[in-house]
Amino acid sequence: MILLFAGVFLLAGSGAAAVWLRRWPRLAERAYLLLAVAGAAGAMWPALRVVGGGAVEPVRLATGVPGGAWVFAIDPLSAWFLLVVLGAGLAALAYGAFYLAAEAEHGSVPLGRLVFSLLLAALVLVVTAQSVVPFLAAWELMALSGYFAVVFDDRQDDTRRAGLVYLVATHAGTLLLFLLFGTWGSHAADLTFAGLAAAAHQLGDARSLVLALALLGFGVKAGFVPLHFWLPEAHAAAPSHVSAIMSGVVIKTGIYGLLRVVTMLQLPPAWWAWTVFLLGAASAVLGVLWALAQHDVKRLLAYHSVENIGIILLGLGVGALGLAYRAPLLSVLGLAGAVLHTLNHALFKSLLFLGAGNVVRATGTRELERLGGLARGMPITWAVFLVGSAAIVGLPPLNGFVSEWLVFQAMFQAGVSRTPAELSVFGTAVLGLVGGLALACFAKVCGVVFLGRARSEAGQAAREVTPGYVIPGIALAVACVGIGVWPALVLAPALRVAAFVAGMPPAAALELARPAVSAGQRIALLAALGVVVSGLLWWLRTLALRRAGTAAAQTWGCGYARPTARMQYSASSFAAPLLAVFGPVTGVREVRHASSYETHAANLVLERGVLPLWRVLRAASDRLRPIQHGRLQLYLLYLVATVSLLLIYLAVWGSP
Amino acid sequence: MAASQVLALALVLVLAPLLPGVIQRTKSVLAGRQGPPVLQLYADLARLLRKGMVSSTTTSLAFRVAPAVFAGTTLVAAALLPLDGRAAPLRFAGDVVAFAGLLALGRFALVLAALDTGSSFEGMGASREATFAALVEPGLFLCFAALGVATGSTSLTPMLAQRFGADWAAAAPALVVVGASLSMLTLAENGRVPVDDPATHLELTMIHEVMILDHSGPDLALILYAGAVKLALFGAVLVSVLVPRGGFGPVGSILVLVAGLAVVGVGVGLVESVMARLRLSRVPQFLVATAVLSTFAIMLLLSAS
Repeated sequence: MILLFAGVFLLAGSGAAAVWLRRWPRLAERAYLLLAVAGAAGAMWPALRVVGGGAVEPVRLATGVPGGAWVFAIDPLSAWFLLVVLGAGLAALAYGAFYLAAEAEHGSVPLGRLVFSLLLAALVLVVTAQSVVPFLAAWELMALSGYFAVVFDDRQDDTRRAGLVYLVATHAGTLLLFLLFGTWGSHAADLTFAGLAAAAHQLGDARSLVLALALLGFGVKAGFVPLHFWLPEAHAAAPSHVSAIMSGVVIKTGIYGLLRVVTMLQLPPAWWAWTVFLLGAASAVLGVLWALAQHDVKRLLAYHSVENIGIILLGLGVGALGLAYRAPLLSVLGLAGAVLHTLNHALFKSLLFLGAGNVVRATGTRELERLGGLARGMPITWAVFLVGSAAIVGLPPLNGFVSEWLVFQAMFQAGVSRTPAELSVFGTAVLGLVGGLALACFAKVCGVVFLGRARSEAGQAAREVTPGYVIPGIALAVACVGIGVWPALVLAPALRVAAFVAGMPPAAALELARPAVSAGQRIALLAALGVVVSGLLWWLRTLALRRAGTAAAQTWGCGYARPTARMQYSASSFAAPLLAVFGPVTGVREVRHASSYETHAANLVLERGVLPLWRVLRAASDRLRPIQHGRLQLYLLYLVATVSLLLIYLAVWGSP
Repeated sequence: MAASQVLALALVLVLAPLLPGVIQRTKSVLAGRQGPPVLQLYADLARLLRKGMVSSTTTSLAFRVAPAVFAGTTLVAAALLPLDGRAAPLRFAGDVVAFAGLLALGRFALVLAALDTGSSFEGMGASREATFAALVEPGLFLCFAALGVATGSTSLTPMLAQRFGADWAAAAPALVVVGASLSMLTLAENGRVPVDDPATHLELTMIHEVMILDHSGPDLALILYAGAVKLALFGAVLVSVLVPRGGFGPVGSILVLVAGLAVVGVGVGLVESVMARLRLSRVPQFLVATAVLSTFAIMLLLSAS
């Protein structure tokens, strides 16, 4: 635990060093990186030990304060999320060190570094705090440093607006968490998580309220439909490394919260499990559909986070159904799928955002319709982005496949479970559809950005960025491939975490899911076979060509001899047939001219739901204005009146 | 790997190019034409392998790697099916997801290769292929889910190598419905009428064919061969669902498979002779119908027990 705290201090200190040493930019950059890497490594060590099956002593601080001691501990769930935070977070931080250095005209670089390392430190504390007070404090620090990281470029109207929407959304969520822990805590002896867990069976009717509040409060952070409205705005407006950590890691704290509540409450009721499952299905399908409608690469990636949170919720939902209907195999497979997809999504989504950052840095635009043919100028970024794309689509042999395979298995198993959970077998259709749509979407992104011909001068001139930009991406890509070709690396640890959440002994869970664990090696064999067979065919066709030769010519244009880059299929036209199938839920407006076709995508929930509601609220609160005079005497009067009313209340109805 | 597995896999891989020939011959006979020989695809493949390649100056490495990836993934997917009616060479819990994933990987490679040419025709083909492939997935997974519920398993080997005797009768109505859904999916996944018409002559009306317009020589040979193998794999799944091969010996079981594949070829030819291609906007309804059918099958199975 000492290592963990040392890690947190070093992480926070790296930001402080970046500010103190700002006069000497090179020194500041080195100190920042060195301290942050040391801090992340320090905090990573105990997490790895716990994930490997070991244990770490918890720490109890400030035992005398009201609400019970401040406990920090690394149980399997915390350890798993520490890996998520530090793995993706460190890559994003290293990338940001270079990315921000070139953004000096948009904002203060040292402050940008400071808030980023504070965000990382806060994330570490969020997933290790085991008492309500430090948990909420870290949660708030995370929300605030996240806000300042997002509004780095605060001279832009869009960025400020996105930041405001994010700030309002996250605080609304935090408010619900206060209600959640307040309700629960009033039944418990103290506000440590252990105390809350002990009071779980005394909750009675409040249990349903607690579960509903958890779903809403943590849901705003996780960003599933319809609580996702802030997410595409904030993630698109932030600098790329901030988008990476927001999309890859910060939204996962919502998933962490839900898993933590399930762990403490045990046996969630069936209605809650079904709600989670259906929310997951809705988020997955709508998220990917809305992503398909975008042609701003970062907004598109942000909507894919909504989709992947949906996939995680599908796993969590099946897991919770297994708990509710006493089908342990379902809970183990579903929860393992959910936690593994959490890690995988953190890896490939940060990878994709960093790749998008390279594209933005090299071309100065996020607009898909202005890109094209970047594979020539930026081969490494292209290779890394391709790995991330194949992983997020869930193609073998990459990590996204492994976790989706677990979720699929949980749903197939549900079909044979002979409990009411068997209906969740229809989730396979949802997940299949989502995979197909994601394939279409990433074929669009890869094809329009990296392949074909450049659609603008900027795209034409794009060259590979400096090594500092590509190394974090390469590291993440290696992790994606590693988990994909050798799933045994993560299957057993993920199952142990699932067992911890489900409240069963790890050995029993591993025994129950033995077919899945042993399948890990078969997947490795499958990957090897695929590479060997494809390689062999490639070699044969090269041999055949060596004899017969290759000629270069123009692309076949059906007789038209002067094709231009503008005649290529665009992102809008590629997605058009799929969007037409799904009709108005896609929120797309088409603009057709004789020689052009454009689509405009709306953030439906924000524009049709949240903002109108906000206007009503604001009109209502205007009525309260008259009591705000700005006169000190009046405010003092309000204070006195409130305190007197409270005293009267206590005197009349209060307990003796 | 047992001898029967090797034999079945080798037979399917060697005989796969016959399947398009059978389809073509059926269509020719029904139209009262002579038609090309049944072995035409073998001749085409041999010719293409000898030829050189014309490569567009717009394309990059992605365009040249895609055919090998498409063919490689299709061949490896074949190893996941219990073609001999007993067990697949490579089987594990949830391998059904890997089967779908491998086919998706091959498709992803081809779609990217099409976009790499910068041609609007190929972009159009890629867009349509990705669209219909996405809409195929729910039906496909529901078919596998129905088989999984019927056999209590998540692996293709128990799903397709059915040994159940009396149980088969109980599951038969559902299996027939799954078979209907799977035959529609076979047509859709392999670019046949009524979803796509491989014999069409206008780029604007093509889907799969226009996507691979720029490939030539050995690359085109790989794509054509893998396409035939993919059709044979879907045919094999269909045969395994509809014909219980549990009572046959290893050789008999393989013979049943080969005969079944021939019937599938004739069936596809019949469909192509009597139907026209659907309008593109009607195709989604066709694909939704497959999902609805397999949903019925699952409901039948779940309510039976």
